Amino acid sequence: MSKPIFELVDSLPTGGITVMALKSLDFTLPGKWQNLVGFDNTIRAVTGETDDDLTKQIGDRAVALFNDKSQGYQRALWLYQTVSSASGALGTAALANKIGQDISFLGILKNLTPKPEKAQSIDLCVKLVAEIVAFCQINGIPGDSVGDFLAALKDYGGESLVRMAALVCFDGLIPLGPDFARKGLDSLKTTSASDLEKNQTFKGIQELIPGDSPQGKLGFITESFESTRGWMDGFVSANSLTPEKVVDNLGKFVDISKDKLDYLGAFLDMYVKYYEHTGIQTLARRLIERAVAEI
Amino acid sequence: MMTTRWRRVFASVLLSLVLLVTACSAPPASRYDQTQKETTARGAAPAVAKAAEQGSSFNKFFPKGQKGFEVVPAQEKKGFAEYKVNQDGKNVAMLAISDTTGTAAASKFQASTFTLGGYPAVEQGQTATAVLVGDRYQVKVLSRATSFTKENRAAWLEKFDLKGLERLK
Repeated sequence: MSKPIFELVDSLPTGGITVMALKSLDFTLPGKWQNLVGFDNTIRAVTGETDDDLTKQIGDRAVALFNDKSQGYQRALWLYQTVSSASGALGTAALANKIGQDISFLGILKNLTPKPEKAQSIDLCVKLVAEIVAFCQINGIPGDSVGDFLAALKDYGGESLVRMAALVCFDGLIPLGPDFARKGLDSLKTTSASDLEKNQTFKGIQELIPGDSPQGKLGFITESFESTRGWMDGFVSANSLTPEKVVDNLGKFVDISKDKLDYLGAFLDMYVKYYEHTGIQTLARRLIERAVAEI
Repeated sequence: MMTTRWRRVFASVLLSLVLLVTACSAPPASRYDQTQKETTARGAAPAVAKAAEQGSSFNKFFPKGQKGFEVVPAQEKKGFAEYKVNQDGKNVAMLAISDTTGTAAASKFQASTFTLGGYPAVEQGQTATAVLVGDRYQVKVLSRATSFTKENRAAWLEKFDLKGLERLK
């Protein structure tokens, strides 16, 4: 049983490295990213209602929905959390929990190892698939409907859009360069099912990925990435995104060293838990939207 | 070597520390604690009744996009379906149908003072208007922008195929 949903949302940080990294992506979004934290805060922001009794009623229903495992919300949360932590498991950094402490990039540099490009590519693809599966769990579209996800992607806003922006910028552009989409796809085409099974991020979530075998799952991942590539390329060109631009903006918010770019990908993996942070926000929002409609 | 008195002082200091540490690490009390307890207890009733209609059955009763307004699917779960109403790319309202079976949602309609489309209607909070169809299905329109008024909500409620929904078994 996970932590209660209201506790998760109440514990979301208002500052720190994840929040700063996400704020640095504001320039890619229409309007600024609002870091909405706090369960009652989210109820008021999503519904526009402020009456205490009514917001309590809404919150109660949202809590009940989340706690009913059959509704799939806990599975979605698990996906967001697992992807966040699996990608951070670089293996070589034995570091204590640094949340709240000053994480200076140069300070921990010696403990990081840049991930090989292939592993970064697979990570990117698996994270994208996690997004699709979580989307389906939360919104109820049938599990392998990539087409429905793509249609909804056009309507993505707020924390969901910033999560996709972070995926493109932090997991695509920075570690893999401007050619990340092609590299991602090429990597998949030369990846065997057994290669895939060795990937930390994939291992973490494989039971939820559609496909009867690792081969089947690889097929689903490839198809998803191919289909979403158009959106990602469009996102990059609409914002004239380059790795340099992303790093420049990141540097305004997070203390990084621009001549250690190959370590930056590993650093971001380790400390920027954007999937979990914005995933919890998306989950809370959907739950509350449903709760207020059902009461 | 400690005297008995010092041992007692030490023990009470230690106990206070233990209590302090435990209190600091426990999450703060929340007004949702009771609901959390009730809905995670062994044998707790599911949030959605087994007999609830699948959300996919509701899709055909939603209004289509109108001039200037786009209607986009948002959620489809057991007992629930929801669409967004967007105007110029901005979300202005939500449309929802839910099955009230097994929930207390239908009871508020007993105090209904007006009808829409021939069905008992209520205003809820500042932003929602709902009707109850066939004593079972709640159809609700929620404003997500101040430009989407109470009158707009009433008008959109009547755009649903409410009669069709009433015939759903």
